[in-house]
Formats: sequence, C-alpha cells, structure tokens
Amino acid sequence: MPLRLENISVRFGGIAALTGVNLEVADDSVVGLVGPNGAGKTTLFNVISGLVRPTEGSARFGDTDLVKGKIHNRARAGIGRTFQIPQPLHELTVRENLMVAQRFGAGRIDPSRIDEILDFLNLTHKADAQAATDLALSEQKALEVGKALATEPKLLMLDEVLAGLETSGKRAFMTMLARLHREWNLAMIVIEHDIETISRLCQRCVVLNFGKVIADGTPDAVFRDPEVRRSYTGTGAAEHA
Amino acid sequence: MSELVLQSLYAGLLAGGYYALIALGLTLIFGTMKVINLAHGEMVLLAAYIAYTAESVYGINPVLAIPLAVAAVVLTSVMVYGLVSRIRQDRELNSLILTFGIGIVLTNFVLMVWSADIRSTNVPWFNEPVVIGEAFYSTSAQVLFFLAGLGLTAALWWWLGRSWYGRALRAVASNRNAAMLMGVNPRTTEVISFVIAGLLAGIAGVALYTVAVIHPDLGHNLTIKAFVITVLAGLGSIPGVLVGAMLIGVAEYMTITLASSALQELTGMVMFLLVLFIRPSGLFGSRGRVG
Repeated sequence: MPLRLENISVRFGGIAALTGVNLEVADDSVVGLVGPNGAGKTTLFNVISGLVRPTEGSARFGDTDLVKGKIHNRARAGIGRTFQIPQPLHELTVRENLMVAQRFGAGRIDPSRIDEILDFLNLTHKADAQAATDLALSEQKALEVGKALATEPKLLMLDEVLAGLETSGKRAFMTMLARLHREWNLAMIVIEHDIETISRLCQRCVVLNFGKVIADGTPDAVFRDPEVRRSYTGTGAAEHA
Repeated sequence: MSELVLQSLYAGLLAGGYYALIALGLTLIFGTMKVINLAHGEMVLLAAYIAYTAESVYGINPVLAIPLAVAAVVLTSVMVYGLVSRIRQDRELNSLILTFGIGIVLTNFVLMVWSADIRSTNVPWFNEPVVIGEAFYSTSAQVLFFLAGLGLTAALWWWLGRSWYGRALRAVASNRNAAMLMGVNPRTTEVISFVIAGLLAGIAGVALYTVAVIHPDLGHNLTIKAFVITVLAGLGSIPGVLVGAMLIGVAEYMTITLASSALQELTGMVMFLLVLFIRPSGLFGSRGRVG
C-alpha cells in the first residue's frame, strides 16, 4: 500500500511552503526527510495527515485519496504520525491515550496489544499516569509513538522524535525505532536533523529546501551531494567552490 | 440562630443539587468545544415551560413530561450546535455572540407562546414538606431534584471516564488535532456533548418548574448562574460543578438567612469575582479539562 504524492504544492498567502513535490514511499521502506528549518518538512507531513490541504497536486495512500479524505479517516487508512512537540491527550492516562487510538483508529479493542505497546515503549510503569503531568520528555515522545502504533498503521510518520533528548536517550530511542521497522513491518518517514540517525535508520533520504525536493537517494549519496551540503549543512559551499 | 444556620446550610446543599443540573450542560459543552453557550439558561427555561404546559393544559404530572421536555431541548441544542459548528473563525468569541442572540430569540419565543405571567406548579406533592430529624425542612421537589442532580452528575462523570465515547469526548477536549489523527471524529463527539447538554437542561428545566416560579426573563439569570458555577468549579470539571453548585447554594441561603434575600444573587457574583482574582482556573480547574 504505497504512498504516492504527485506535484504537491502548498501556498500560505504569498508564501510557497511546498512547490511541486513528488514522493513515493514503498511498503516496508524507511525514508528520511531532511532539510533546513522552514524547508517544508512538517508541512509535507501535514498534507499527508490532512491538517493542511494542498493548493495543487494529488496524494494517495493505497486506495485512499489524501486530498479529499477526512482527517479522522487517516488512521483507519493506515497512516499514523507523531508531532515534533508531543501532543498527548492530557486529560487521559497513558493507557487511555492508547486505548482511544486503538478503538477509534484501528477499530478494535485488544487490551493485550496495548500492554504489548506499553512494554515495547518501556511505558508499562507509567500506564496509569496522567499524560499531561507525570511524564518526562522521553516518555512523552514514547507515548507519541505509542498513540500512532495503537492505530495499527502501515505507514508511520515520525516528526523529529529524537529532538530534545539526551545522547543516551537518543541512542535508546533510535534502537527502538530500528526494532519497530524490523519487527512491526512498517513503512516509515522520518523527519530528522541528525545525519547519523538518518544514515543508520533509513535506506533512502529525501532533501527539501525552500519547499522543493533537491535530492533523493541513499543517505550516503545524498549527504555527499554538494547542493545538499550547501543548503542543509552549510558546509558544502566552500568545498564546492 | 444556630438552627437557622443549619437549616440554611441544608437548604443551600439541596439547591446546589439542582443548580448542578443547570450548570452541567454548559460545562460539558465548554469542555468539549471551548464554546460558552449563552442560550443554555433559555433552553432550561424552555423545558420548564413545556412541563408547565403538560401540567396546566393536559393535566400531566411535570415529572412525566420530562421525556417531552428533554426531546424539545435536545432538538434545540442540536440546532444550536448546527449553527455554532458553522463558525469557522474565532469560534470562542463568535459563538458567544451567536448563542447570546439565540438566547434572545428563545426568550421572545417563550414570551410569545406563554406570555409574561409567572407560573408555578399546582401539584401538591412537589410542595409537601420533608422533615428530617425535626430540624431540616424542605419540599419533596427539592429532595427529588437534589438526588437527581447527584445521580446525574455521578452518571456523567462515570460516562466520561469509562465509556468509549466519553473518552473520545475527553480526547477531543484535550487536543482536537491529535484526537482526529487517532481516528476520533470530532463532530460526532461534539454532537453527543450537545445532546447530553440538552438532556440535562431538559431535566433541569422540569426541576426548576417544580421548585420555583418561572417567568420568561429567567433564562439569562440561569445562564449567569450556570456560568458562575462553571467558573467556580474550573471550566470543564464535572465533580467541580457539583461542589461549586453547592457552595453557591449554601452561600445564597446563608445570605438570605443572615442578611437579606435582596443580596442573594449578589453573593454568587462576589464569589465569582473572588475566584477569578484568587484562583482563575477555578477550584478544580485546568484549562480545557472535561471530566
């Protein structure tokens, strides 16, 4: 059930946030989405998840039209996402967050699966904690992933899940994400600034700059591209010259 | 003197039960949609007049008119939702203006259909005295709707905490976008909250008719009382509504006993202002909570 975006453009007033973006994500693949701040990465996630309607272009996930479809139907179609700043359902406990996601996103009730997700994310001891007040940042990030997993997605979109974590926390989270892809058989799109993370986690990397795709290939090839280095890392310009 | 104070305390607590009934719907809708329904009091009043019509025209006991009153108010409530949900920008502010206007329309509708005369029940049972321990006096209606207030508050709290749609409603109240991406249809939960608010307002209206006199101007007083209780409780807090309603009830009856009945409404407003100054999130509040 591949994701296929064709010629996606988004304009906010006079500002072009995305221009003619094409992106295809095959089943089971892990794609890194990188680019400097303001490049349009989160806007692209918002288009896929329905929070932003594209000005032009078409977006499909399998048989689902992502341009016309309702936001709450994304989860049933198999798309799960996280937010850069965790968005827990703060009135609910951790377990209730996952229960709601499973009941309404996956359309079934399976408490043992919830326990499995809590265990996988090391959140079992916080299952009955209030999502708003009782979680450290790393646990809020884990809950963010858990909410998406509970909807039983085929495509998981991760928006800077490692941002703000300490080095050891990042390493543990990265191991968890690698396991997620391997054991849960998911396609993933990962927005991340950390090149090492992208290189270790992703088979493919897409670079956005000023709302346009400027490179698409393996992480090694992409990060050697002078234009990418110039726009993304800021180090390529001198070498290129 | 101490007997009078105890009696005021008792009467205030009983009044708090049905005040809670009046305020619960307003709290629920605010918790879900961040909309303050300024037509809420008029919807309660509409139910009261339906109970009056059932009794005076058809000779039906007002309590038996609850299904009809509830049906009419739920329908009105869903129509209000239909209008509120069409507001695309600045919903919190624009819905105030819209629902204020709907309140005026409803008041004039009541005035047109039932005239400006005051009305009260003629069913003797509602005014029969209930005496507990020879010290606490009340009427049957006060006790009945105090218990109804307690029961319905508990039921609503249970429903929000334990049922799937109760959780979904709290999910939307917590974070609408996140809830949608988890598969929750926010419109369904919003409609449900307006239906429940209508149901509670319908029962509150019948309660009002049996414990007090009604007249067409009463609607906005009821809205203000419900709003004061909701703010006192902490916007969106269901158990807080019961406690806030009882505090208001006790404060009002104490004022009547120790000072003057003319100051009854002022007491609530003073408490309202004190809470806003000292604890703006209310006694049990966190922003946007519901449950």
